[in-house]
Amino acid sequence: MAEVATTKLKKPSAINKRKNPIYMTVIYIVCIILLLLCLMPFWLLLVNATRSSVEIQTHAVSLIPSKYLQNNWKVFQGKDFNVAVGFKNSLIISTCATALAVYFSSLTAYALTAYEWKLRDGFFGFIMGVMMIPGQVTSIGFYQMCYKLHLTNNHLMLILPSIAAPMMVFFMRQYLQASLSIEIVESARVDGANEFFTFNRIVLPIMKPAMATQAIFSFVGSWNNLFTPMILLTKNELKTMPVMVSLLKGDIYRTEYGAIYLGLFLTVLPLIIIYLLLSRYIVAGVALGAVKG
Amino acid sequence: MGKKRISYAKWGYIFSIPFVVAFALFTLYPIVYTVFIAFTDLKGAANTTPHLLKDDILKNFKEVLATSQFKQSFGNTWKIWIMNFIPQMGLALLLTAWFTDNRSKIKGQGLFKVAFYMPNIITAATVAIMFNAFFGYPIGPVNDLLIRFHFVDSAQNFLIKKANGQNIVAFIQFWMWFGYTMITLISGVIGIDPSIFEAAEMDGANRVQTFIYVTIPSIRTILLFSLVTSLIGGLNMFDIPLLFLNGGPDNATLTTNVFIYKQAFSGAYLYNRAAAASLIMLCIIVVFSSLLFWLMRDRDAEKAKKLRKQAIKEAKLKAKGVA
Amino acid sequence: MKKFVAGMLCFCMMAAVATACGGGDSNGSDTPATTVNNGGGDTGETTEDPATDPANEGKTPINLYAFTEEVPMMCQCFLDTHPDFAAQYYINKTVIPTTEQQYQPALDQALLNGGEDAPDMYVCEEAFIIKYTQGDMSSFAAPYEDLGIDVDAKIEEAQIAPYTVECGTNPDGKVVALGYQTTGGAFIYRRSIATEVFGTDDPDAIAEQIGAGTNSWDAFWDTADELAANDIAIVSSIGDMWNVVKHQPNTSAWVVDGALNIDPNRESFLDIAKDLIDNGYCNDTSAWQDAWFADMAGIGEKPVFGFFGPAWLVNYTIAPHCGGDSAPADGDFTQGNTYGDWAVCQSPVGFFWGGSWVLCNNDSDKKEAVGQIIEWITLDCTNTGLQYYWANGMISTDNYAEDGVMPEGTYTSDSVASAVVMGMSDGSSDFLGGQNMFDVFVPANEFASGEGMTQYDENINAEWQNQAGYYAHGEKDRDAAIEDFQTYVSENLGL
Repeated sequence: MAEVATTKLKKPSAINKRKNPIYMTVIYIVCIILLLLCLMPFWLLLVNATRSSVEIQTHAVSLIPSKYLQNNWKVFQGKDFNVAVGFKNSLIISTCATALAVYFSSLTAYALTAYEWKLRDGFFGFIMGVMMIPGQVTSIGFYQMCYKLHLTNNHLMLILPSIAAPMMVFFMRQYLQASLSIEIVESARVDGANEFFTFNRIVLPIMKPAMATQAIFSFVGSWNNLFTPMILLTKNELKTMPVMVSLLKGDIYRTEYGAIYLGLFLTVLPLIIIYLLLSRYIVAGVALGAVKG
Repeated sequence: MGKKRISYAKWGYIFSIPFVVAFALFTLYPIVYTVFIAFTDLKGAANTTPHLLKDDILKNFKEVLATSQFKQSFGNTWKIWIMNFIPQMGLALLLTAWFTDNRSKIKGQGLFKVAFYMPNIITAATVAIMFNAFFGYPIGPVNDLLIRFHFVDSAQNFLIKKANGQNIVAFIQFWMWFGYTMITLISGVIGIDPSIFEAAEMDGANRVQTFIYVTIPSIRTILLFSLVTSLIGGLNMFDIPLLFLNGGPDNATLTTNVFIYKQAFSGAYLYNRAAAASLIMLCIIVVFSSLLFWLMRDRDAEKAKKLRKQAIKEAKLKAKGVA
Repeated sequence: MKKFVAGMLCFCMMAAVATACGGGDSNGSDTPATTVNNGGGDTGETTEDPATDPANEGKTPINLYAFTEEVPMMCQCFLDTHPDFAAQYYINKTVIPTTEQQYQPALDQALLNGGEDAPDMYVCEEAFIIKYTQGDMSSFAAPYEDLGIDVDAKIEEAQIAPYTVECGTNPDGKVVALGYQTTGGAFIYRRSIATEVFGTDDPDAIAEQIGAGTNSWDAFWDTADELAANDIAIVSSIGDMWNVVKHQPNTSAWVVDGALNIDPNRESFLDIAKDLIDNGYCNDTSAWQDAWFADMAGIGEKPVFGFFGPAWLVNYTIAPHCGGDSAPADGDFTQGNTYGDWAVCQSPVGFFWGGSWVLCNNDSDKKEAVGQIIEWITLDCTNTGLQYYWANGMISTDNYAEDGVMPEGTYTSDSVASAVVMGMSDGSSDFLGGQNMFDVFVPANEFASGEGMTQYDENINAEWQNQAGYYAHGEKDRDAAIEDFQTYVSENLGL
């Protein structure tokens, strides 16, 4: 189709050779507006983190920082939780959940791509179906199960379920289908490698870009998860960052907005860092193979 | 291959075990529970003993379908999704065209690409609070600006108008997701063989022509992937409509998932109806997605088959060569 | 470049965490010195698991579910002031805010599933108290008399505000929940405006002007007209009026015999809302938003005469947003500082807004112990009871861990359940121009009614207020608003 289309176009144009200044200006203006739109909330979070509650309630949005950062920090850590503990819990949960999700989704996707087995198509259809289940109501069943089995206050209940991440399996499968050539697998078999070894040493490296992007999405999701940990983790020393920040809102008559924004900013900070570190994969590598060919 | 062909099929099963086990342990029970209570009389906060409905097993489904709110929420969900998806896809395509155009190298591309995804990493709750503050009435930043620049004479109560509610929710969704879609599309374009673009340029195609006739057809699969994931995400739209305006004004941003949530967790705790509504939505999503998958799947399967054949051929050739 | 930015952010985060740890340590070392005053016990260091804390070895835990830090702080105070009790028990608290709408699901699951983590004691607020005392979850609420409290005699002795008892009584007529705070409402008005328009700022005169205690709105609307003629709004928002109308005495419940029932009092709110907008009686703000707070500082679109609210609104909401912390030197209250310009008078009809109730789990095996805490919090009317501390600003959620119990007047005072305690306490403040607000709030608490409530109110009230707003702003006509409301209720509540 592409070839047919291009042969039809016969009009040579000089504009193509040089940059059209108006065209370029439009591009930059649009991009800069979008850039401001996207970065603005981070600036607002930062500014509000330096304002007092009363200032925030009087004018919820401001672009100019105030002088209450230290005060907010005092309120924030004066509440009876420890920021370091929250960070630690969030980091443990998000890292473990992400690692498990990425590894086992890749493994499942590999099983769906590299092998011919009877139930394969059925299994794939099943994963697709699971992907589409609306999450709101199944949560009742999940909470009920956790309470019945007395598995509340256990980080594992937030980590282990991520082994079955249907969305990610779907993505990984799309990626593998295009980027994995059976030839490599076959040659490894010829060399006598067992299947597990082949997956770990040969297939996983091929999937690196896909894994990085999915890791970001998964980490962000797990880090920002609020509802499940809020219900399941009732002990202070187990709570995650977002839960701790939401606790700041708990006092209905006197809400410390400055401290909340500071907490929100601290919560998003690690995400920004991890995102920036992994962003070269996002920009260059997402779904690289999924469309190859 | 001198040896007998070994069947590797069992490894397919073995490698799927962790997924299946984790799924069975953590997700299956809640799902089965949901399906079950859709056919029971389970409602009320303290009720833990559901009884199967005796006289009319489908009572909950009938009740859900009879409510005007479910119909309304269904319409809203589609409307808001389409309102956000079209501009989102449009802008993502436009940006993709700009950023992948070899002829006009845009400076600071990396910065733009990275920044455009950033709205996605803030929690929905924070986004909702911010937008609520923006549209404050009678005092709020948007009103202040509009009055200062004489667009309006007096403060506008934006969030009481149904259309505004839907537009703003659609805008938030658009704003949160356009970067994600753009990144997905760009990586699709990067995967295209550069020689096609060169050929197009040689033939004198301008930027627009190149993009429409060369780029878009080449990323057809990834466009479909975006469409499917966005559709599933859109039909499950939940946190922004709930946290921003709690489904209002006057149910204008009540999506089906917000409806389900409200049935289950507020007022009378109608778990049974909520479960029935979930199942109805599940069926609808499955039907629509299957349709889209069917379009996509054809190509995948073909491609995979071709690849496998090729691999086997090459392996045989290799084996011969070695021998 | 990108790496540099990331590096910088990394560094910032490390620094933040480091200061957090440092701060925590210094905090910890401060604590022992102050806790000595409180009769020993361990107040700080709550980030540690109380179960593994060596100080709690051999003690029995009391599980407490709450949605703010208030009751946990009070329990801690009880332990600190009752060393014998503290030698046997410690508090294992779970705090989940209501803002994310997760408190009730978590509490329900914990109650339903029992076990050793089940709450022994839990706290409910106005919006959902009925669900736990008279509704679906009422079977879990233990009658106070089963906790070893001679509840009827105590209520009489302490003169507990009647509406709190009404809300806390289960269908068998037994008291299962009481509060420490009372939230009976009054009209909180600007003195300068009163003087300007009515020639006096005296609370008794203004009370008469708005028809206080008449159970009728006629005088109030006449006043509103008079104010509107001077381009002054009588209230800030439609919602301010709803808070009053919602719990107006002699109002029948939203749900009667399983069917929706719109009481004429509540139906009249539609017209009230319409009048407020059409006649310019209000600034058309929304509670808790920028413009509402601006009206407290007197810098809204029009000056606002007053707010309907309980004692907490005075001290926790209006005072921090009045634009200053002492009266303006030139006595001009129109420049964004209204400190000292406020006074409180009786409302035309009685009402209450907000409040917390404390309950004990029927399945708890520590009822006696929980009973002792509950009695001290809700019924002790001596000057060593919680309510005396609370009414006189001697304890504060923010500072308790460091300061413990302080002398009278250290923090802002709040209205409490026992009229006896209120009588011993001083509610006067510079913010109210020296007025003792308890003079008004004690009768206000008597005047409020706890009847006509159902467990569905949270939901129904919100929707009724929405529909009234659409009608008042001309988005739909009156009949359509009522019809849409009925549809909502029948579909959402299955009535």
